[in-house]
Order: sequence, then C-alpha cells, then structure tokens
Amino acid sequence: MKVIRAAVDEMWSVLGQMTSAVFRHGLPLTDKIAARTALTNFVLHIHPVRVRRSWIRMSYTLCLGGLSFFLFIVLTVTGLYLMFYYVPSTQHAYQDMRDLQFVVTFGGLIRNMHRWAAHAMVITVWLHMARVFLTGAYKKPREFNWGIGTLLLLITLLLSFTGYLLPWDQLSIWAVTVGTNMAKYAPIAGPYTRYLMLGGRAVGDATLLRFYVMHVVGLPLVGFLLMVVHFWRVRKDGFSGGL
Amino acid sequence: MAADFKRLVEDSREMTRRSFLAIAGWVGFSVASAIALFQSVKFIQPNATYEDPPAFKPVGALGFPSNYAVGSTTVLIDKRVVINRDQDGFYAISLICTHLGCTPRYFPDVTSDLVLAGTQISKDPDTGQQATKANPALPGFKCPCHGSRYFRDADNFFGPAPRPMDRVHVELAKDGRLFVDRSVVVDHKFRLKV
Repeated sequence: MKVIRAAVDEMWSVLGQMTSAVFRHGLPLTDKIAARTALTNFVLHIHPVRVRRSWIRMSYTLCLGGLSFFLFIVLTVTGLYLMFYYVPSTQHAYQDMRDLQFVVTFGGLIRNMHRWAAHAMVITVWLHMARVFLTGAYKKPREFNWGIGTLLLLITLLLSFTGYLLPWDQLSIWAVTVGTNMAKYAPIAGPYTRYLMLGGRAVGDATLLRFYVMHVVGLPLVGFLLMVVHFWRVRKDGFSGGL
Repeated sequence: MAADFKRLVEDSREMTRRSFLAIAGWVGFSVASAIALFQSVKFIQPNATYEDPPAFKPVGALGFPSNYAVGSTTVLIDKRVVINRDQDGFYAISLICTHLGCTPRYFPDVTSDLVLAGTQISKDPDTGQQATKANPALPGFKCPCHGSRYFRDADNFFGPAPRPMDRVHVELAKDGRLFVDRSVVVDHKFRLKV
C-alpha cells in the first residue's frame, strides 16, 4: 500500500512538473502575469506586450493583413494535402485533379478550400494594400515595410499564376500561354524570359514541372521569409493607427 | 570601403593589411556571386527540349498534295498548322494568334455577324476580298482567347491581333509528300506549285 501511494505521488509530481513546464505562468489574472506571458511565449511574442485599445480598432485595419496571413496558412496546409495525390506531369496532372474532385474522400473539399482561399488571398492582399495607402500608413518611418509589402503582393500574384497551370485543363494551358506571351513583349530580355519560364517554346511538360516547383517550394519560401521581415517591421515601426 | 579604394588608387603603400583584405574579400564575394547568378540562369535554360520538332510531314492521306482540293483549307490541329490550296498553289499558316499565342479556330463564316452589326471590315490585303451586305460570309479564323479574327489567308481584320499570322515554309519532299517547316517564316506571296 505504501509503495502504491509513493508511486501515485511520484506520478502526480511528474505530471505537475510537465504541466508547469508547458503552462509556465498560470492564468493571466493580473496585468503583470499577462505581460510576462506575452514576453516569454514564442507564439504570443508577435504581439506587443502592451497594446492600446485604439491601435487595434477593427475599423482601422479591418484585419486585412491578418486575414491574408491566415489564408496563407490555409493554403499551405491544404496545398500539402493536395500534394499527396497530385503528380506534376502532363500524363497525370489533369486526372489527379479529377480524382481529387470525385474519388478522394474530402478531396473536393480540400481542393476547393485551396482554390477559394487563393482567390480570397489575392483580394485581401489588395485590400490590405489599399487600406495602408488610404490611411497613409506607408509614410515615414514605414517606407521600407511598404516595399516589403509590394514584394509580398508580387509573390501572391505569382503564386496564383503558377497555381493556375497545375490543373492542366484548357483554361490553364491557354492562360499560361497568354501570360508568358505578355512576358515576351518585355524589351530585350522578353523572348529569353519566356523561354526560361516555359523551359521550351510552348507550354508543355517542362513548363508544368517548373511552375509546380515554384508554386510549392520556391515562391512560398521567399514569401515566408518576406512575411517574417514584414511582421518584424510592423512591431518595430509601431502601429500607425490612432493614439 | 570607398576610402580604402581611394587609398589603393592614390598610394598603395599607404594601405593597411586590413583594408587590403577587406577589398580582396568584397571583390571575391562579388565575383563569386556573379558567377553563381550566371550559372543559375544557364542551369534553368534547357539545352535540349523534347518538344515536337518544327519540321514535319503530314501523316496519312494528307501527306499527298493530290488529296487537297483547290480552294480548300485544312487544319492540322496537332501541329497548329493550316494548309491552304489555291489556284496558284499551296501555302501553310502557323496557327498561332499574333496577339498572345492562342490557337484560332476555323469557321466557314467569320464576317456576317460583324456586317450585320454594321462594323466596318477592311478589305483582305492579299486577295482583295471584302465582306459586303450583299455577300457577308467569308471563311476564316477566330481566336477563342480575345476574339481576334483572320481571313482564310491569315490576314487579321478584327480584334487585338497586331499582324497577320505567320506563313511558314512548305515544300514537296522527294517521296512526293508535303514537308512543312514551322521554324521558317515566309513571305505572303510564297506559293508551292505542284
């Protein structure tokens, strides 16, 4: 009996230690505890320890930057799911997309989430940019972050463009034919740029693979790094909202 | 850095070891970066593509000129080429829209809806044909992407297309079959006489 009691006590103390290792500060019942939690927690450190109510007025930011980031996360997760079934070759791509729609359980849900979140992200990024412009939040000292933001807009649009080819239907192929022909109109480097984009003279196997690689690795990676800088600068430059 | 370079140019004996190494380091870094950029671009540029070769002979019955009626228009959709036969011979059109590269589609009538709507349609500069109220229907091509239209002989007359579609080389091979080379653009007066 004594042995069992000792074992149970030991278990409780280990459990207590584990709990206090994860929940290091207890409930944020006072401002002091809340501040200390925000200061030492990795997830919460994105937020300032102290925020004025007026800084986070919904009617000022409309949550557009946060929505864009949320949609980026949705796209990363659903995109990862889609990669389990999608093979980027002209032999398989269209059939795999059809399978996702009609054969894979919840495949249609995941693909449609990916598609609609992509459309929505383009819209929220544009609106975010419009909001920053209209409130004059791009002005000194935030010019650098405005620049990062324009690059993020470019990344968003390139992700849309590269993703557009992947279903490999008629719309995809001709949209990319048109898009890369627009690139060809650029002076001097235009035709060469198109050749590099397509990996050939027409949209084909090489193009699909290139666009896939850029869509699932290249552009998200660059986008993620730029986002890290973007959020860091938001914190360092301070909120532009009312005082 | 700028001061280091200035010293290097004016009197290299004045330069410290530290600034010499700094300059050497930056020059090395810049050269290595330039080479890396160059090799990256060359790496993604394919030296060999496994695309359909530009020159081909139409397969089957379409390989032989005698199977084309005078005044006929034949679309080889897989090759994106059109072979027209007129009184004075054969010519081939590269079926790539000159606006942004889609594939226009053949229709026996591409003009009468415009004539009906009262749109002024220019004369075909090559054949001199013109769609009129009395005779509104002319054959030709419509592009599905942005609505460019071409007469049967590839001359553009409507929509955003900036110029006629390219005419490409066609000749008679030794085995008596047609031979089309899509990589060779020819003049609008070109005809293959058979």
